[in-house]
Amino acid sequence: MTETQNQNEFISKRLRLAGLLIALGLVVEGLSLTWNHPLSFVAFLAIGGLLLLLGIVVYLTALVSPRQS
Amino acid sequence: MPAAAVFAVLLISLVIVCLLVARPAITAARGGKILAFLGLFIFPVLTGVLGFENHMERSKQTRFCLSCHIMEPYGKSLYVDDKSYIPAAHFQNNRVPRDEACYTCHTDYTLYTGGFKAKVRGLHHIYAQYIGKPQQPVKLYHPFNNRECLHCHSGARSFEEGSIHAALMDDIKSNKMSCVSSGCHDMVHNAAQVNGLKQWSAQP
Repeated sequence: MTETQNQNEFISKRLRLAGLLIALGLVVEGLSLTWNHPLSFVAFLAIGGLLLLLGIVVYLTALVSPRQS
Repeated sequence: MPAAAVFAVLLISLVIVCLLVARPAITAARGGKILAFLGLFIFPVLTGVLGFENHMERSKQTRFCLSCHIMEPYGKSLYVDDKSYIPAAHFQNNRVPRDEACYTCHTDYTLYTGGFKAKVRGLHHIYAQYIGKPQQPVKLYHPFNNRECLHCHSGARSFEEGSIHAALMDDIKSNKMSCVSSGCHDMVHNAAQVNGLKQWSAQP
């Protein structure tokens, strides 16, 4: 496997992971917006917000981290 | 921002993210990289900000405040059939918007203003409601601020020209004398007694 292929594989894995975390976070945030309850605000921040943050961090670190072969 | 707009941004974000998860190879091209930046950074951040704003607006609603069990008597006090009850008189005569009645007179409560300490108190209320034990009776953290009355009544003819108000105006405006002092407008929620009182039923 060439170095370019390895890099692409690495980026693809990180993008998938970031995408899954962000998608999950978006679903939680969407559900919390349909639920009119004090706990929905906590779910929005503590679960949805955390998943979004993790996903964004995974995506941004994938952009700047050294490629693994 | 209406909830529909928040959902629209959320949906766009979700579609882009699903596309990237299904076909990450599209990020090899320049257009794909831009799409990834939008879908994995810009839109999620935008969704978070708009969603937070939406939640903040919703938490100003009367039904949000009354969704905690401990607040039920305060909700009932808005329907007491007695003009001397200040919150009831304001609520029933549309002197405050009914769907934001609590927030209109308690603008400094927990999440909205009052700095970090006030926000921690808001989270503590959620903890006390669902995990701990709420302190009874419910008390304000600070004495009721006349500002909450004056943001509507200040400048109103009936208030300014009232002889008692006029004589005490400086003390009222500087909070030296509370509007809810004994002998003045002291019949507020009176939550402990509210169950035995006649209730007004609003016509649909």
